[in-house]
Amino acid sequence: MFRQILTLMLAFVGGFLVVGGWIWGPKISSAVSGLVSAGPSISLFADASRLGRPEVAPVVRSCIFRVLDVGSDASKMEPSAGYFILKAGTMQANISALAGKREDRRSEYGAAAVAIKWGELAQCIYAQDDRELCDPDNRAAMVEATTKFFAFAKQADASKPTIPADAARAMDNLSDKLLNALKNHRRYGTLVAADFGSFAAPEIMRVMREEKETRDICKR
Amino acid sequence: MLEVNFLMRVAFVLGGIFVGINLINYYVLGNSGDYLPGGPRMGEWKQAKIREACYPALESPERDGLLPKLTTNKHRIDWRDLTNAVEMTAALNCYLVTHPNAICERNNRAYIVDYIGRYFLKFDEMMNTARRYGDSEISTVKDLWDSPRNRAINMALMQSATNGRLIKADFGWSVPAAMKPMLDRYTGATDNCPRA
Repeated sequence: MFRQILTLMLAFVGGFLVVGGWIWGPKISSAVSGLVSAGPSISLFADASRLGRPEVAPVVRSCIFRVLDVGSDASKMEPSAGYFILKAGTMQANISALAGKREDRRSEYGAAAVAIKWGELAQCIYAQDDRELCDPDNRAAMVEATTKFFAFAKQADASKPTIPADAARAMDNLSDKLLNALKNHRRYGTLVAADFGSFAAPEIMRVMREEKETRDICKR
Repeated sequence: MLEVNFLMRVAFVLGGIFVGINLINYYVLGNSGDYLPGGPRMGEWKQAKIREACYPALESPERDGLLPKLTTNKHRIDWRDLTNAVEMTAALNCYLVTHPNAICERNNRAYIVDYIGRYFLKFDEMMNTARRYGDSEISTVKDLWDSPRNRAINMALMQSATNGRLIKADFGWSVPAAMKPMLDRYTGATDNCPRA
Protein backbone atom coordinates (compact mmCIF):
# COMPACT_ATOMS: atom_id res chain seq x y z
CA MET A 1 0.00 0.00 0.00
CA PHE A 2 2.78 2.39 1.02
CA ARG A 3 4.71 1.57 -2.16
CA GLN A 4 1.65 2.30 -4.29
CA ILE A 5 1.08 5.67 -2.63
CA LEU A 6 4.76 6.50 -3.05
CA THR A 7 4.68 5.53 -6.73
CA LEU A 8 1.61 7.66 -7.23
CA MET A 9 3.21 10.67 -5.54
CA LEU A 10 6.46 10.26 -7.43
CA ALA A 11 4.60 9.95 -10.71
CA PHE A 12 2.81 13.22 -10.06
CA VAL A 13 5.84 15.11 -8.82
CA GLY A 14 8.10 13.67 -11.51
CA GLY A 15 5.69 14.40 -14.32
CA PHE A 16 5.10 17.89 -13.01
CA LEU A 17 8.79 18.68 -12.59
CA VAL A 18 9.97 17.22 -15.87
CA VAL A 19 7.32 18.60 -18.17
CA GLY A 20 6.50 21.79 -16.28
CA GLY A 21 10.16 22.52 -15.62
CA TRP A 22 11.17 21.90 -19.21
CA ILE A 23 8.46 24.02 -20.76
CA TRP A 24 8.12 26.81 -18.25
CA GLY A 25 11.33 26.67 -16.25
CA PRO A 26 12.59 30.12 -17.27
CA LYS A 27 9.24 31.78 -16.61
CA ILE A 28 8.82 30.04 -13.25
CA SER A 29 12.30 31.04 -12.13
CA SER A 30 11.67 34.67 -13.07
CA ALA A 31 8.33 34.59 -11.24
CA VAL A 32 10.00 33.12 -8.16
CA SER A 33 12.84 35.64 -8.24
CA GLY A 34 10.24 38.40 -8.49
CA LEU A 35 8.57 36.99 -5.44
CA VAL A 36 11.85 36.81 -3.56
CA SER A 37 12.85 40.37 -4.38
CA ALA A 38 9.44 41.79 -3.60
CA GLY A 39 8.37 39.89 -0.51
CA PRO A 40 9.44 40.65 3.02
CA SER A 41 12.71 38.93 3.83
CA ILE A 42 11.90 38.29 7.42
CA SER A 43 12.00 35.00 9.23
CA LEU A 44 9.71 32.31 7.88
CA PHE A 45 9.36 31.00 11.41
CA ALA A 46 8.26 34.27 12.96
CA ASP A 47 4.74 34.71 14.33
CA ALA A 48 2.62 36.01 11.47
CA SER A 49 0.47 38.11 13.80
CA ARG A 50 3.54 39.93 15.14
CA LEU A 51 5.11 40.73 11.79
CA GLY A 52 3.17 42.40 9.01
CA ARG A 53 4.09 43.99 5.69
CA PRO A 54 7.19 46.19 6.09
CA GLU A 55 6.79 48.00 2.76
CA VAL A 56 3.54 49.68 3.83
CA ALA A 57 4.60 50.42 7.42
CA PRO A 58 3.89 54.00 8.57
CA VAL A 59 7.46 54.26 9.92
CA VAL A 60 8.77 53.46 6.44
CA ARG A 61 6.58 56.27 5.12
CA SER A 62 8.28 58.70 7.52
CA CYS A 63 11.81 57.37 7.10
CA ILE A 64 12.45 55.95 3.65
CA PHE A 65 13.12 59.20 1.80
CA ARG A 66 15.48 60.41 4.53
CA VAL A 67 17.63 57.40 3.69
CA LEU A 68 17.02 57.01 -0.01
CA ASP A 69 17.75 59.94 -2.30
CA VAL A 70 15.44 59.76 -5.30
CA GLY A 71 15.66 63.48 -6.07
CA SER A 72 12.54 65.40 -6.96
CA ASP A 73 10.61 62.15 -7.50
CA ALA A 74 10.28 61.72 -3.73
CA SER A 75 7.12 63.86 -3.65
CA LYS A 76 5.47 61.79 -6.40
CA MET A 77 6.72 58.38 -5.34
CA GLU A 78 4.87 56.09 -2.95
CA PRO A 79 7.06 55.24 0.08
CA SER A 80 6.46 51.53 -0.56
CA ALA A 81 8.08 52.02 -3.99
CA GLY A 82 11.09 53.63 -2.28
CA TYR A 83 11.32 50.63 0.03
CA PHE A 84 11.21 48.37 -3.02
CA ILE A 85 14.11 50.31 -4.57
CA LEU A 86 16.16 49.82 -1.41
CA LYS A 87 15.40 46.09 -1.51
CA ALA A 88 16.29 45.91 -5.20
CA GLY A 89 19.68 47.49 -4.42
CA THR A 90 20.11 44.92 -1.67
CA MET A 91 19.39 42.10 -4.11
CA GLN A 92 22.06 43.47 -6.42
CA ALA A 93 24.61 43.49 -3.60
CA ASN A 94 23.55 39.94 -2.70
CA ILE A 95 24.08 38.79 -6.27
CA SER A 96 27.54 40.41 -6.36
CA ALA A 97 28.42 38.57 -3.17
CA LEU A 98 27.05 35.29 -4.53
CA ALA A 99 29.10 35.77 -7.70
CA GLY A 100 32.09 35.60 -5.37
CA LYS A 101 33.96 38.65 -6.62
CA ARG A 102 35.67 39.18 -3.28
CA GLU A 103 38.63 40.96 -4.83
CA ASP A 104 36.36 43.57 -6.42
CA ARG A 105 36.71 46.72 -4.33
CA ARG A 106 33.40 48.16 -5.54
CA SER A 107 31.39 45.11 -4.50
CA GLU A 108 32.89 45.26 -1.01
CA TYR A 109 32.08 48.93 -0.75
CA GLY A 110 28.63 48.05 -2.15
CA ALA A 111 27.98 45.80 0.86
CA ALA A 112 29.07 48.59 3.22
CA ALA A 113 26.86 51.14 1.44
CA VAL A 114 23.86 48.79 1.60
CA ALA A 115 24.55 48.10 5.28
CA ILE A 116 24.67 51.84 6.00
CA LYS A 117 21.38 52.46 4.17
CA TRP A 118 19.56 49.75 6.13
CA GLY A 119 21.26 50.90 9.34
CA GLU A 120 20.10 54.47 8.79
CA LEU A 121 16.59 53.26 8.09
CA ALA A 122 16.63 51.18 11.29
CA GLN A 123 18.00 54.13 13.24
CA CYS A 124 15.28 56.42 11.90
CA ILE A 125 12.63 53.85 12.83
CA TYR A 126 14.03 53.47 16.35
CA ALA A 127 13.94 57.25 16.72
CA GLN A 128 10.12 57.19 16.39
CA ASP A 129 7.88 56.68 19.39
CA ASP A 130 8.61 53.31 21.06
CA ARG A 131 4.97 52.27 20.80
CA GLU A 132 5.16 52.51 17.01
CA LEU A 133 6.75 49.07 17.08
CA CYS A 134 3.55 47.58 18.49
CA ASP A 135 2.18 47.79 14.95
CA PRO A 136 3.01 44.53 13.08
CA ASP A 137 3.97 46.37 9.85
CA ASN A 138 6.29 48.75 11.73
CA ARG A 139 7.77 45.86 13.67
CA ALA A 140 8.38 43.92 10.44
CA ALA A 141 10.15 46.95 8.93
CA MET A 142 12.29 47.25 12.05
CA VAL A 143 13.18 43.57 12.04
CA GLU A 144 14.05 43.61 8.36
CA ALA A 145 16.13 46.79 8.55
CA THR A 146 18.06 45.57 11.60
CA THR A 147 18.62 42.08 10.21
CA LYS A 148 19.82 43.42 6.86
CA PHE A 149 22.12 45.96 8.51
CA PHE A 150 23.93 43.31 10.53
CA ALA A 151 24.06 40.85 7.63
CA PHE A 152 25.67 43.35 5.25
CA ALA A 153 27.87 44.85 7.96
CA LYS A 154 29.30 41.37 8.53
CA GLN A 155 29.88 40.96 4.80
CA ALA A 156 31.60 44.34 4.58
CA ASP A 157 33.55 43.69 7.77
CA ALA A 158 35.18 40.64 6.22
CA SER A 159 37.03 43.03 3.90
CA LYS A 160 37.60 45.89 6.31
CA PRO A 161 41.01 47.07 5.02
CA THR A 162 39.55 47.76 1.59
CA ILE A 163 36.49 49.78 2.60
CA PRO A 164 36.89 53.49 3.35
CA ALA A 165 37.59 54.33 6.99
CA ASP A 166 34.60 56.67 7.24
CA ALA A 167 32.25 53.91 6.03
CA ALA A 168 33.71 51.49 8.60
CA ARG A 169 33.28 54.12 11.33
CA ALA A 170 29.70 54.82 10.25
CA MET A 171 28.90 51.11 10.44
CA ASP A 172 30.44 50.81 13.91
CA ASN A 173 28.40 53.80 15.13
CA LEU A 174 25.20 52.43 13.67
CA SER A 175 25.91 49.01 15.16
CA ASP A 176 26.31 50.50 18.67
CA LYS A 177 23.17 52.58 18.38
CA LEU A 178 21.08 49.75 16.99
CA LEU A 179 22.22 47.31 19.67
CA ASN A 180 21.25 49.84 22.35
CA ALA A 181 17.87 50.36 20.76
CA LEU A 182 17.40 46.60 20.46
CA LYS A 183 18.10 46.20 24.18
CA ASN A 184 15.45 48.79 25.02
CA HIS A 185 12.87 47.21 22.78
CA ARG A 186 13.63 43.78 24.15
CA ARG A 187 12.92 45.16 27.65
CA TYR A 188 9.75 46.92 26.48
CA GLY A 189 8.47 43.69 24.93
CA THR A 190 8.14 45.26 21.49
CA LEU A 191 10.72 42.87 20.02
CA VAL A 192 11.24 39.22 20.93
CA ALA A 193 13.77 36.64 19.74
CA ALA A 194 11.17 34.86 17.59
CA ASP A 195 10.72 38.01 15.50
CA PHE A 196 14.23 37.53 14.13
CA GLY A 197 14.01 33.77 13.59
CA SER A 198 16.85 31.33 14.11
CA PHE A 199 19.28 32.66 11.53
CA ALA A 200 19.68 36.25 12.72
CA ALA A 201 23.12 37.81 13.33
CA PRO A 202 24.79 36.65 16.58
CA GLU A 203 24.78 40.26 17.88
CA ILE A 204 20.99 40.38 17.65
CA MET A 205 20.51 36.95 19.20
CA ARG A 206 22.85 37.81 22.06
CA VAL A 207 20.76 40.87 22.96
CA MET A 208 17.54 38.86 22.67
CA ARG A 209 18.99 36.14 24.93
CA GLU A 210 20.68 38.30 27.56
CA GLU A 211 18.07 41.02 28.01
CA LYS A 212 14.80 40.26 29.75
CA GLU A 213 11.39 41.75 29.20
CA THR A 214 10.55 44.10 32.07
CA ARG A 215 7.21 45.40 30.80
CA ASP A 216 4.99 45.21 27.77
CA ILE A 217 4.40 48.69 26.44
CA CYS A 218 2.01 47.34 23.82
CA LYS A 219 -0.52 46.25 26.45
CA ARG A 220 -3.08 48.91 27.09
CA MET B 1 -1.29 -8.05 -13.48
CA LEU B 2 2.02 -6.58 -14.57
CA GLU B 3 0.33 -4.86 -17.50
CA VAL B 4 -2.37 -3.37 -15.26
CA ASN B 5 0.29 -2.02 -12.92
CA PHE B 6 2.18 -0.53 -15.83
CA LEU B 7 -0.96 1.04 -17.28
CA MET B 8 -1.86 2.45 -13.86
CA ARG B 9 1.56 4.05 -13.61
CA VAL B 10 1.34 5.50 -17.09
CA ALA B 11 -2.13 6.84 -16.34
CA PHE B 12 -0.91 8.53 -13.16
CA VAL B 13 2.13 10.01 -14.86
CA LEU B 14 -0.02 11.39 -17.66
CA GLY B 15 -2.57 12.61 -15.11
CA GLY B 16 0.17 14.34 -13.16
CA ILE B 17 1.50 15.98 -16.27
CA PHE B 18 -1.98 17.14 -17.30
CA VAL B 19 -2.85 18.51 -13.87
CA GLY B 20 0.61 20.10 -13.48
CA ILE B 21 0.47 21.82 -16.86
CA ASN B 22 -2.95 23.26 -16.13
CA LEU B 23 -2.02 24.42 -12.64
CA ILE B 24 1.06 26.19 -14.00
CA ASN B 25 -0.92 27.66 -16.86
CA TYR B 26 -3.60 29.04 -14.53
CA TYR B 27 -1.66 30.10 -11.44
CA VAL B 28 1.88 30.82 -12.69
CA LEU B 29 1.33 32.08 -16.20
CA GLY B 30 -2.04 33.59 -15.33
CA ASN B 31 -3.76 32.38 -18.50
CA SER B 32 -7.15 32.20 -16.80
CA GLY B 33 -8.80 33.04 -20.13
CA ASP B 34 -8.01 29.50 -21.34
CA TYR B 35 -10.55 28.16 -18.83
CA LEU B 36 -13.52 30.25 -19.87
CA PRO B 37 -16.41 28.44 -21.51
CA GLY B 38 -16.36 28.08 -25.29
CA GLY B 39 -19.38 28.19 -27.60
CA PRO B 40 -20.67 30.58 -30.24
CA ARG B 41 -20.47 33.66 -27.97
CA MET B 42 -16.86 33.23 -26.86
CA GLY B 43 -13.82 33.22 -29.12
CA GLU B 44 -10.08 33.03 -28.54
CA TRP B 45 -8.98 35.62 -25.97
CA LYS B 46 -5.42 35.69 -27.29
CA GLN B 47 -6.67 36.97 -30.63
CA ALA B 48 -8.69 39.86 -29.21
CA LYS B 49 -8.00 43.02 -31.20
CA ILE B 50 -9.30 45.28 -28.45
CA ARG B 51 -6.22 44.51 -26.38
CA GLU B 52 -3.87 46.24 -28.81
CA ALA B 53 -6.40 48.94 -29.67
CA CYS B 54 -6.32 49.99 -26.00
CA TYR B 55 -2.55 50.10 -25.54
CA PRO B 56 -2.55 53.94 -25.87
CA ALA B 57 -4.91 54.18 -22.89
CA LEU B 58 -2.22 52.53 -20.77
CA GLU B 59 0.72 54.61 -21.99
CA SER B 60 0.50 57.40 -19.42
CA PRO B 61 -2.40 56.79 -17.08
CA GLU B 62 -1.05 59.41 -14.66
CA ARG B 63 -2.28 62.10 -17.08
CA ASP B 64 -5.86 60.93 -16.77
CA GLY B 65 -7.31 62.77 -13.79
CA LEU B 66 -10.41 60.57 -13.75
CA LEU B 67 -8.55 57.36 -12.91
CA PRO B 68 -8.26 56.05 -9.31
CA LYS B 69 -6.33 58.32 -6.99
CA LEU B 70 -5.47 58.07 -3.34
CA THR B 71 -7.33 60.58 -1.21
CA THR B 72 -5.05 60.28 1.81
CA ASN B 73 -1.42 59.71 2.70
CA LYS B 74 -2.32 57.53 5.65
CA HIS B 75 -2.89 54.14 4.06
CA ARG B 76 -1.35 50.67 3.82
CA ILE B 77 -1.69 50.20 0.07
CA ASP B 78 1.37 48.81 -1.66
CA TRP B 79 2.48 50.78 -4.73
CA ARG B 80 2.15 47.66 -6.89
CA ASP B 81 -1.51 47.30 -5.92
CA LEU B 82 -2.04 50.98 -6.55
CA THR B 83 -0.45 50.72 -10.01
CA ASN B 84 -2.54 47.64 -10.79
CA ALA B 85 -5.75 49.39 -9.73
CA VAL B 86 -4.98 52.37 -11.98
CA GLU B 87 -3.89 50.31 -14.98
CA MET B 88 -6.75 47.82 -14.76
CA THR B 89 -9.27 50.62 -14.51
CA ALA B 90 -7.73 52.42 -17.51
CA ALA B 91 -7.77 49.23 -19.56
CA LEU B 92 -11.29 48.11 -18.66
CA ASN B 93 -12.58 51.62 -19.20
CA CYS B 94 -11.15 51.47 -22.70
CA TYR B 95 -12.60 48.00 -23.38
CA LEU B 96 -16.10 48.80 -22.14
CA VAL B 97 -16.64 52.56 -22.17
CA THR B 98 -14.44 53.94 -24.97
CA HIS B 99 -15.27 50.99 -27.26
CA PRO B 100 -18.77 49.94 -26.16
CA ASN B 101 -19.27 47.61 -29.13
CA ALA B 102 -15.95 45.79 -28.75
CA ILE B 103 -17.61 43.19 -26.53
CA CYS B 104 -19.82 42.09 -29.42
CA GLU B 105 -16.89 40.45 -31.20
CA ARG B 106 -16.29 36.85 -29.98
CA ASN B 107 -12.54 37.11 -29.35
CA ASN B 108 -12.89 40.48 -27.65
CA ARG B 109 -15.71 39.15 -25.48
CA ALA B 110 -13.54 36.27 -24.25
CA TYR B 111 -10.71 38.66 -23.42
CA ILE B 112 -12.96 41.24 -21.77
CA VAL B 113 -14.81 38.62 -19.69
CA ASP B 114 -11.46 37.34 -18.44
CA TYR B 115 -10.31 40.89 -17.70
CA ILE B 116 -13.50 41.69 -15.76
CA GLY B 117 -12.71 38.67 -13.59
CA ARG B 118 -9.19 39.94 -12.93
CA TYR B 119 -10.47 43.45 -12.20
CA PHE B 120 -12.86 42.28 -9.50
CA LEU B 121 -10.32 39.80 -8.17
CA LYS B 122 -7.84 42.65 -7.63
CA PHE B 123 -10.50 44.71 -5.88
CA ASP B 124 -11.41 41.77 -3.61
CA GLU B 125 -7.75 41.10 -2.86
CA MET B 126 -7.15 44.73 -1.86
CA MET B 127 -10.31 44.78 0.25
CA ASN B 128 -9.24 41.60 2.04
CA THR B 129 -5.89 43.17 2.87
CA ALA B 130 -7.60 46.39 4.00
CA ARG B 131 -9.89 44.49 6.39
CA ARG B 132 -6.86 43.65 8.52
CA TYR B 133 -6.36 47.35 9.21
CA GLY B 134 -9.92 48.40 10.01
CA ASP B 135 -12.61 50.74 8.74
CA SER B 136 -10.38 53.64 7.77
CA GLU B 137 -8.28 51.47 5.44
CA ILE B 138 -11.40 49.82 4.00
CA SER B 139 -12.85 53.20 3.13
CA THR B 140 -9.51 54.29 1.58
CA VAL B 141 -9.56 51.26 -0.74
CA LYS B 142 -13.26 51.76 -1.53
CA ASP B 143 -12.61 55.43 -2.37
CA LEU B 144 -9.69 54.44 -4.57
CA TRP B 145 -11.92 52.11 -6.59
CA ASP B 146 -14.69 54.67 -6.81
CA SER B 147 -13.12 57.06 -9.32
CA PRO B 148 -15.23 58.45 -12.19
CA ARG B 149 -13.68 55.80 -14.46
CA ASN B 150 -14.66 52.98 -12.07
CA ARG B 151 -18.19 54.32 -11.92
CA ALA B 152 -18.31 54.48 -15.71
CA ILE B 153 -17.14 50.85 -15.83
CA ASN B 154 -19.89 49.83 -13.39
CA MET B 155 -22.47 51.59 -15.57
CA ALA B 156 -21.13 49.88 -18.70
CA LEU B 157 -21.24 46.50 -16.98
CA MET B 158 -24.80 47.10 -15.90
CA GLN B 159 -25.74 48.07 -19.46
CA SER B 160 -23.96 45.05 -20.91
CA ALA B 161 -25.94 42.80 -18.56
CA THR B 162 -29.20 44.60 -19.36
CA ASN B 163 -28.81 44.25 -23.10
CA GLY B 164 -27.50 40.69 -23.08
CA ARG B 165 -23.98 41.51 -24.24
CA LEU B 166 -22.76 39.82 -21.08
CA ILE B 167 -24.52 36.81 -19.61
CA LYS B 168 -23.76 34.59 -16.65
CA ALA B 169 -22.73 31.68 -18.87
CA ASP B 170 -19.90 33.79 -20.36
CA PHE B 171 -18.09 33.64 -17.01
CA GLY B 172 -18.42 29.88 -16.54
CA TRP B 173 -17.70 28.85 -12.97
CA SER B 174 -15.95 32.08 -12.04
CA VAL B 175 -18.65 34.75 -12.01
CA PRO B 176 -17.36 37.73 -9.98
CA ALA B 177 -19.47 38.14 -6.83
CA ALA B 178 -20.09 41.81 -7.64
CA MET B 179 -21.60 40.90 -11.01
CA LYS B 180 -23.78 37.98 -9.93
CA PRO B 181 -26.83 40.06 -8.87
CA MET B 182 -26.94 42.08 -12.09
CA LEU B 183 -26.41 39.01 -14.30
CA ASP B 184 -29.09 37.11 -12.38
CA ARG B 185 -31.49 40.04 -12.67
CA TYR B 186 -31.25 40.23 -16.43
CA THR B 187 -31.13 36.51 -17.20
CA GLY B 188 -32.64 35.86 -20.60
CA ALA B 189 -31.92 39.35 -21.98
CA THR B 190 -31.44 39.24 -25.74
CA ASP B 191 -28.05 40.21 -27.13
CA ASN B 192 -28.53 43.58 -28.89
CA CYS B 193 -25.15 43.62 -30.63
CA PRO B 194 -25.22 45.07 -34.13
CA ARG B 195 -25.37 42.22 -36.65
CA ALA B 196 -22.72 42.20 -39.33
